[in-house]
Amino acid sequence: MAEFLHIDALGPTGPYRSRNRRPLTSLAGTPIGEISQVPSLYVRRTIAAMRAAPVLAGAQRLDALDAAAELFATAPLGGLGPDEYVRLVSTASGVPRAVVRQSVDWIVDVLRSQRTTVELAMPRGAVGDWRDERTRAGSAVWARRGEVFAVHAAGNTPAVHGLWPEALALGYKVVVRPSTREPYTALRLVEALRQAGFPPATLTLLPTDHDVADVIIAEADYAIVYGGQDVVDKYSAIPTVLTQGPGRSKILVTADVDWREKIDIIADSVSHLGGTACTCASAVLVEGDPEPLARALAERLGRIPSLPADHPDATLTVAPTASVVEVDQYLHKVAGDARPLLGGDTIVDELPSGGAVLRPAVHLVDSSGAAQLGVELPFPCVWVGPWQSADGIAPLRDSLVLTAMTTRAELIDALLDEPSIINLYLGDNPTTWLRPGIPHDGYLGEVLMRTKGMIRTAVGPAAA
Amino acid sequence: MSSPVLDLPRAADPAGNPASYPAVDPDEYIAALMRWHFTASTGSPFWLRRARSLEFDPIADVRTFADLRLFPNVVDEFRDVPVEDLIPRGLTGEDRVIAGVYESGGTTGSPKRFVMFDRWMEFALGWDEFHYAALGPANVLAVAPSGPHMFGAFAARRARRHDGVRFTVDLDPRWIKRLIERDGPGAADLYAEHIIDQAAHILTTQAVGILITTPPLLERMARRDDLVALIRKNVRFICWSGAHMDADSREIFQTEVFPGIPLKGLYGSTTILGMSRERPGEGLDGLALFDSPSPYIAFRVVDPATGDDVNLGERGQVVMNHLTKYALIPNNLERDHALAVEPPPGWLGCSVADVGPVATFDDHAVIEGVY
Repeated sequence: MAEFLHIDALGPTGPYRSRNRRPLTSLAGTPIGEISQVPSLYVRRTIAAMRAAPVLAGAQRLDALDAAAELFATAPLGGLGPDEYVRLVSTASGVPRAVVRQSVDWIVDVLRSQRTTVELAMPRGAVGDWRDERTRAGSAVWARRGEVFAVHAAGNTPAVHGLWPEALALGYKVVVRPSTREPYTALRLVEALRQAGFPPATLTLLPTDHDVADVIIAEADYAIVYGGQDVVDKYSAIPTVLTQGPGRSKILVTADVDWREKIDIIADSVSHLGGTACTCASAVLVEGDPEPLARALAERLGRIPSLPADHPDATLTVAPTASVVEVDQYLHKVAGDARPLLGGDTIVDELPSGGAVLRPAVHLVDSSGAAQLGVELPFPCVWVGPWQSADGIAPLRDSLVLTAMTTRAELIDALLDEPSIINLYLGDNPTTWLRPGIPHDGYLGEVLMRTKGMIRTAVGPAAA
Repeated sequence: MSSPVLDLPRAADPAGNPASYPAVDPDEYIAALMRWHFTASTGSPFWLRRARSLEFDPIADVRTFADLRLFPNVVDEFRDVPVEDLIPRGLTGEDRVIAGVYESGGTTGSPKRFVMFDRWMEFALGWDEFHYAALGPANVLAVAPSGPHMFGAFAARRARRHDGVRFTVDLDPRWIKRLIERDGPGAADLYAEHIIDQAAHILTTQAVGILITTPPLLERMARRDDLVALIRKNVRFICWSGAHMDADSREIFQTEVFPGIPLKGLYGSTTILGMSRERPGEGLDGLALFDSPSPYIAFRVVDPATGDDVNLGERGQVVMNHLTKYALIPNNLERDHALAVEPPPGWLGCSVADVGPVATFDDHAVIEGVY
């Protein structure tokens, strides 16, 4: 990284470097480059130009997504080869190299799967193109509700960029506001998609400060916004904004299941992607005494080594020491009367190479109603507590993913009926399990598309 | 008895040469100003009354521009004082003609009222006359607050100077504020678009040569292709005021949106009964520089923690002073922050650039969640 990095906007007519820029720094605080911060005027003009641009035809979109997968995985983009890109993300943003690679694989899979994902998400009564024969007899056509989709991305893991390509597949024009901490993945993906065939006016990258990010969201028809509980609260009342906030994913182990056989799955659920995904388990509820499970979990997670993020074996996130210290102080505050089994003294492990590792933490709480069970922090931090069937499903509410290790069909029925549990995994599946085509927070198509009734006789192009 | 040094220059250079005003000795000016406002026969009832509770003697103790720091900031008292009490008794004849009473604020708390004298207003309007020198006859469209605000009244006088008429639309910033409090930012959007729709109708049907507005409204016009085309075709001068314009937006306006149309800023406030003008030339890193009409209006930029002047080139909070025989409004700490810039030689205080709200940076509070 000898070269000074410039992350500029990629607008409808080309790159744009604003005078207002923020420094990009390494974990040790060394300046490594600058990121443009475009003004709201630029945002408004960009989105107006995007609205005026034609939509790429469906078949071309899917071809371009396929081609982009290849480019994203293998091509030099924005001056960086794939390995250089992975190294940059790990050294600059502290996401472990292995996590970056897993995320890249995930994004590539997502790009390649859009043909089937779109098919899977479409209601069975609908056709994807009005030219389909079925509209002659009358059918639903799947149609866009809007035209511009905004992405307010996060930098905790590159995997966050695995959701929005679905919007491109559906024919939306997409504007991506990258994370200031990790803008490299957003830049690389936008470059790949553009080279693969998406015209600049259909896909733009607009780095901004937070105020201008609000202008992007206001100008777009729909937006997906990553953030903490504060961001969720800010946007939750706006139906066109999809929030990706704390997942508060959980695992339930009932007495009919022997947790000893599942401890690896449980530990993986907590520490996958360095604990930085909203699908990572932050609470484990156990029917019976939770302490043996908590101790075994602490033992597993305690074994994970502290390594610089660019080390091939690293799995834990590295961040500037001051911010890790803040997280540690916050953890102590929220832990309150919970009993620490791991990380109770400190989670801060300073590295000679700069920054500090966020070490895992395991705490035991004494009731299924403990408030700590709802606390999600950006590292492997898990709260283990007791559950009994009399507690019902209340302690399991508000979960992006719930892995239920149980054989009780009635309980499973009740969990599936609970609206605040978004995904329900059963048995030997970690909360972090994901496959392209399986919804993460519903299909984007559920929000971005609607069906329209159509019946037609011989009007329209003769060839149709 | 008025000292001649307090008299406004009579004939501003009709070509509007910015250097044409006579230099006055700053200390002589301040001393004469204090005598005027704190002598029973010439001062205003407000200041004569207020002087009794000052902990210093303005005539004896305030001899230089720096000494004005002795004054408390009295603008909050302008919320309640009857406007008659603000009129200096020494004003007579042409000097005593009132142009209007204008209000500042009112979006938070009750408004403050200021008396604008005709003679002063004409001078203040002429402060950036040189920018308009070559324009000739033109109509004005002011898409800006009218009502009790100074902004709209200046636009009307601008039109008169160009033998034109002023078109305007109603814009009530206090109501926008209420709407945002009640319904969130979406309500302001709706209101702003309603304003732009009205401006669009005027631009479509009337010959508008001078457009006066705020940066946020100009930005909204800029995203409508039809309006941009109309403005490019007809408008020969764009004046902005009333909000911040960053260097990037200024450049985009100048090079992409309205190329070839002069785009000049005014930075002012009702609390100084006037404004500073954009310095001709390149500016500073793409930013407009603002020179106040010294010695009548003078700025300082201070460290908000200590109240001391910052060095030139540093940011701080703006302190405004209105220092004429028409009014005395000293040492008024404004909400705005700005960069202190070297003023023209002999000027009181400093010039300013990059005026805007306090810059805030990401705080480091831990917020739950992984993002």
